[in-house]
Amino acid sequence: MAAAVRMPSANQPKSMTRPTRWSDVVEEAYRFQIAGYRDEIEYREVQKTDHVDRWPHNGYVKKLVRRDGCFYYYNRTRECPDKQINKTKLYEY
Amino acid sequence: MMKTKQQQPCINKVKLPGKMVNPREKVPFTQQVDIYDRNNITKPEPPLAGAFKERNTGGTSFKKFYERGDFPIALEHDTKGNKIAWKVEIEKLDYHHYLPLFFDGLCETCHPYEFFARQGVHDMLEHGGSKILPVIPQLIIPIKNALNTRCHKVLCTTLKVLQHLVVSAEMVGEALVPYYRQILPVFNIFKNKNLNSGDGIDYSQQKRENVGDLIQETLEAFERYGGEDAFINIKYMVPTYESCMLN
Repeated sequence: MAAAVRMPSANQPKSMTRPTRWSDVVEEAYRFQIAGYRDEIEYREVQKTDHVDRWPHNGYVKKLVRRDGCFYYYNRTRECPDKQINKTKLYEY
Repeated sequence: MMKTKQQQPCINKVKLPGKMVNPREKVPFTQQVDIYDRNNITKPEPPLAGAFKERNTGGTSFKKFYERGDFPIALEHDTKGNKIAWKVEIEKLDYHHYLPLFFDGLCETCHPYEFFARQGVHDMLEHGGSKILPVIPQLIIPIKNALNTRCHKVLCTTLKVLQHLVVSAEMVGEALVPYYRQILPVFNIFKNKNLNSGDGIDYSQQKRENVGDLIQETLEAFERYGGEDAFINIKYMVPTYESCMLN
């Protein structure tokens, strides 16, 4: 959870790692990256909003707005397939 | 005397050595059997009924609307992860108009129609909530048409959609019970379509493409979420189904 500790307004990430195993953090990063963002910080900056739609029972992202205004909807359960785990990027600030 | 070429459909003209059988004569069945046996001619097979034959639906209205661009879907080719990008929020869509159209597209087998119909139905059921229940009567005809194609791929997709439908919202399973006699006959035909591969591995089971198993799962979901009357109605249409809840 190192990516969420500091909240600078327009800072670029200092480093990037590739995960090797699935976890909730990886799932979160996968969902944002599918929609074209690095992570939640960039999403909030670009969309100028603090609210991210999440599923109530497990906190996974439910809906995101893309940069062109279209909407992406996500499943209640895990969506990140095993093949995509090492293609997901985890940023640290 | 001119011989007519028209033949009675139930009696084939049999040319025996040296003797022509007049097709206008009604040959009794017992004599027909003798004719074939005595002359060592293989008996013709009865014509196929076509229960398993795949049927084409022709153009669906889903394809027509898709070509016209009436769907609130962003059509692009760089979508990652098998997702549809929706131009309008699903919560604001008119389910009475769009959900039956997407269900209509389940009959499609070509890309991209098949992908958009399947994914569109999945997204709308996932986020529909209470808007799904009032639309159920309008979904029955598209579901019936999809099942009647008897196409393996369409059957698998439709069965998975039905499993999702009954869990998507409250009371949907019970609302489907009166329509079992319209959608379950095809289940009866394909229920035993399992691959007998001996001790080999059946990969279609892993990928959830074994029709017999999918039908069993779907019927169990119907029974689980269909309320008290579900089992007896299923048993009426699919007599070989055994309850997963009562025993």
